[in-house]
Parts: sequence; C-alpha cells; structure tokens
Amino acid sequence: MLARDLAQTFPTVTLDTEALDAARMLTENRLPGLIVLDEHGHPYTVLPGSQVLRFVVPTYVQDDPALARAYDEKSADQLCAKLVSRQVRDVLPKRKDVLDLPIVAPDATAIEVAAQMAGMHSPIVAVVDGSALLGAITVSGLLAHLLDIGPTS
Amino acid sequence: MTTWLVVAAFVAAYVLIATERIHRVAAALAGAAAMVILGVVDAHTAFFSEETGVDWNVIFLLLGMMIIVSVIKQTGVFEYLAIWSAKRARGRPFAVMVMLIVITAVASALLDNVTTVLLIAPVTLLVCDRLGVPPIPFLLAEVMASNIGGTATLIGDPPNIIIASKSGLTFNDFVFNLAPIVIVLLAVFVLICRVMFRSALIYDPERVAAVMELDEREVISDKRLLIQCGVVLTLVMIGFIGHSVFHLEPSIVALLGAGALVAVSRTEPHEFLEDVEWPTLVFFMGLFVMVGALVEVGVMADIGNWLTDSVGDKYFLAGSGLIWGSAALSGIVDNIPYVATMAPIVNDLVQAGGGSEQANALWWALALGADLGGNATAVGASANVVVIGIAARNGHKISFWHFTKYGLIVTFVTITISWGYFWLRYFAFA
Repeated sequence: MLARDLAQTFPTVTLDTEALDAARMLTENRLPGLIVLDEHGHPYTVLPGSQVLRFVVPTYVQDDPALARAYDEKSADQLCAKLVSRQVRDVLPKRKDVLDLPIVAPDATAIEVAAQMAGMHSPIVAVVDGSALLGAITVSGLLAHLLDIGPTS
Repeated sequence: MTTWLVVAAFVAAYVLIATERIHRVAAALAGAAAMVILGVVDAHTAFFSEETGVDWNVIFLLLGMMIIVSVIKQTGVFEYLAIWSAKRARGRPFAVMVMLIVITAVASALLDNVTTVLLIAPVTLLVCDRLGVPPIPFLLAEVMASNIGGTATLIGDPPNIIIASKSGLTFNDFVFNLAPIVIVLLAVFVLICRVMFRSALIYDPERVAAVMELDEREVISDKRLLIQCGVVLTLVMIGFIGHSVFHLEPSIVALLGAGALVAVSRTEPHEFLEDVEWPTLVFFMGLFVMVGALVEVGVMADIGNWLTDSVGDKYFLAGSGLIWGSAALSGIVDNIPYVATMAPIVNDLVQAGGGSEQANALWWALALGADLGGNATAVGASANVVVIGIAARNGHKISFWHFTKYGLIVTFVTITISWGYFWLRYFAFA
C-alpha cells in the first residue's frame, strides 16, 4: 500500500493558533501530534504531543528531574497555565531542524513512511503532493497496516 | 632554532586555546604533538618526568574528585539545601540570595566549581520562578560566589591543584593562607550584590506561599546514599587536612575516597565514569606536555632567571604584578593554561628567595589573581560559560557585556582587597 492510500484527513493548526486550543485538539481527538501549516497553508512542521509537554515542563526541571518531586500537587496541576496567551509558534522547538519536515510523497511505500517516522522521531508523517497536503499517517495507522498484512502469531 | 620552533608551536597552540578557534582539547593535543615532532618530548619526558611530563597528581586528583561528585550529585543534597534555605529565608529575595551565595561558595571550596553551579542553577531557577523575581542576578551572584569560594582550598579550583602540585604546598597551607581572605571577600561580595542587584530584590508577600509549598525532603532520592556520601566526604576532607601527616598525596586521598564511595554505594562503573570530564583531563595532559617542552628547552629557566634578577628581593612588587596581571589575563584566557605556564616561573622565583615566607607568598598572589580574575568576564572561568548556557536554555539571555559589567566590578573590588591582604599579611605584619 502506498502513502496516498494510508493517508487520512488530519486536523491541522497554523503557527498563529492558540497553543491552548492546539493542546485541546490533541487531547479531544487523542492525536499523537498535529500538522502545522504556514501562512500559505503549506505544511510547515509537525507538533508532537511530547513537545507540548516539553514546553510546559520548565527546562530546569528537565535538566534536574529531582526538582519535579519538590512540587506540590496543586502547583503541578497548574503547569498548563503556561500555554495561556501563547501560540503554536511559541511552543515549537527553537531548533534549526524545525524546518526539516516529516513528509512523504503520495507514492511512498510503507517502509519509506516507517523510515521517515523512525529517522525523524515523529509520531506522524504528512503526505504531500507538491505543496498540497493530502493527509497524514500516524504511527498507530502505519503499524495497524503492517500488522494486518504481517505475521499472524 | 629548535627552541624558537618550540616557542612558536606553544604560542600557536595557546592562541588557539584562548580564541577557541578549535576545541581546546584539540589545540592542546596538537601543541603536544608538535613538541613530539620537534624532538623535544619523548615517552620518558612526557609520562615519567616530574619536571617536564604530565603531572599525574593533578590528573588523578581531578579524576578522584569527579567520581566522588558523580555519586554525591545523585543524592539531591544540593537541591535540598537550596530549597531549604529559600524557605528559611521566608522567601525574602536578598536573604535567599545570601543563602545561595554561601551554599555555592562552601560547596565550591569542597567540589569543583562547574559541578557546583550545574547543581545549584536549576534549583535557583525554580526558586526565582516561584518568587516571581528575575533569576539572572541570582545566577550571576552564584557563579561569582563559586569562583570566590573555590579560591579557598587546594581542591576548590583547578589552578590551585596545579599550584599545589608544583609548589608542594599542603591542603592546610591553602586553607590557612587563602580561606581567611575568601571569607572577607564573600562578606564584601554580599554587600556588592545588595547594591548591584537591588532592583531585582523585590519582596512580594503573595509569592512567598509558592516557595513555602515546595517540599525539600522530596528531592532527597536516597537517604542511605546521602549518609554514605557524607561519611566518605568527611573522611576525604580529613585525608586532605592530614595528608602531610599520613604521607598521602591529595591525589591518592581523592582516589581512595572515590573507590570507597563507589564500593559502599555499589555504583556501577558506567554510572560514575560517564560523569568524568574526560576532555578536561586530556586537555590537562596536553597542556603539561606543552609546558614541559618549554622547560626542556630551557625557555622557562631563562624567563625564571631573568625575572629572578629583575625582582631581586622586591617580592611585594613581584606579588603585586602577579595578582593584578593574573587577574587581567585570567579574565581574557582560561586560567588553567595560564597557571600551568606560570607555575614553573613562580617556582623559580620562590626557590631563588630560599623559600622565605615573602617569596612563598608569590604562590598566593598567583592563586588569588588567577582564581578571582575568572569573574571578570563571561569567558573568564568555565563555570561562567556553564551558567550562561543554563540561563539561555531557560529563556534568560546573559550577554557577554551583561556579565562583564558586573564581573569587572566584582573582580576589581575582590582583587583590590586581596592585594591589601597580600601586603598586610606577608609584608606589613610579616
């Protein structure tokens, strides 16, 4: 099966979408990530759910995980307050490789899709024809396909 | 001809280290390789000569302390102390800053500065976040306190380790000669911080509750390990204090302590070895070979003789030059290669003075200038670079000039006081 057959319509956000709305979209649809479009409607990058967590957990706690234990329950529950008044562009990692898109062409095979996901540590891959977004393939969607046609025991 | 080529290779490697055009380890190793190719260094001079080879006492003292630190940092004791002190200070920003300065300075006297700031900086950001105060003044105060505190002991700062190895001065010599002035400097430093950072020290009673809700006991991950570390570190300190009585070099004390801690804590080799800063150790080795080559061709002896003739018995003048000159140079270049280069020269001056107290005081002038000079600029000490990096990752940019405008004030004041101490203790009341 090719990427165009595996692709499903997928919710998208733009760089200016409120970060809180993007986070809600992730949880309400139980998505592993979101495709972010630029101002021209072209795929810009993927915002994985783990990146949202990386944004709300202070970097100093990520540097020294022992500090996470010092938080009381109430303060810990208020972590998502950091998303208020922020946009998706603020949540994206400040790295040069943010522009390295996890995308595949419509005629990519399953192994090409899998290699792209594994190589870029991305839970979703956008299927793009030229600059048009056809849909996306998730890890679970790809694995379901591979298991369907793979070993039975 | 060979002598000039050795000097040229040394200067070229030194420039590469100072400008960081290539990694300092690569520059030091290239410099060492050049000395081998020029035929000045062979296996014997590099590995077995006390005068011109790798100083294994320095390497193994650093290795031992790095292993000890790698186990101690797993306990969470630094995080505990920082949160505990913030709560004892009832969230008052200046009191919190003073507590953090004292903790950092004391820890830096016992452990290396980079490790200390690596452990204290994240918890400082947490406390400042909770207090709603800008963290940059706190981070700057800590890293400068670390450089000041590290001056107090033989093991506090790598330049002191080099000085101890070249001079034969003991742990107690360092404590008796440097710790008193470091205590004075810290007291003055606290006052300077009160003035320099006054605009950031705003007390907000409503934010205090957020600090008081932090539970410091939760960050202690392993109480048994904490007790083991406390016992072993105490024994290591006793070993350092009594090393001349026990006839054990500080490097042996550190290695025995590291071995004991690893054994009682049952830490796996991959756990304690991955925290060893191997690049730093290799950098030291390359540096020793480079400086050893200058000794081998007689350049250091020539400089030493010239300085000895010039200085005569004017040790106060020589010491003043060393304090101020070392401070100025250490603010610009890494103080480790600087002290590695200067140590043989100062040794010649001290020997020419017959090892008198005034001649011996030149070692303290070198230590004070080189250690405290690290505060002058953002690149003056490795700990500065580490803290600036942590601050940047957490969204708080500290520019070179932002650091330097505070660093120059602190360095000028601390060096001036140290100069006065140098004069009073070793000349006026000698």
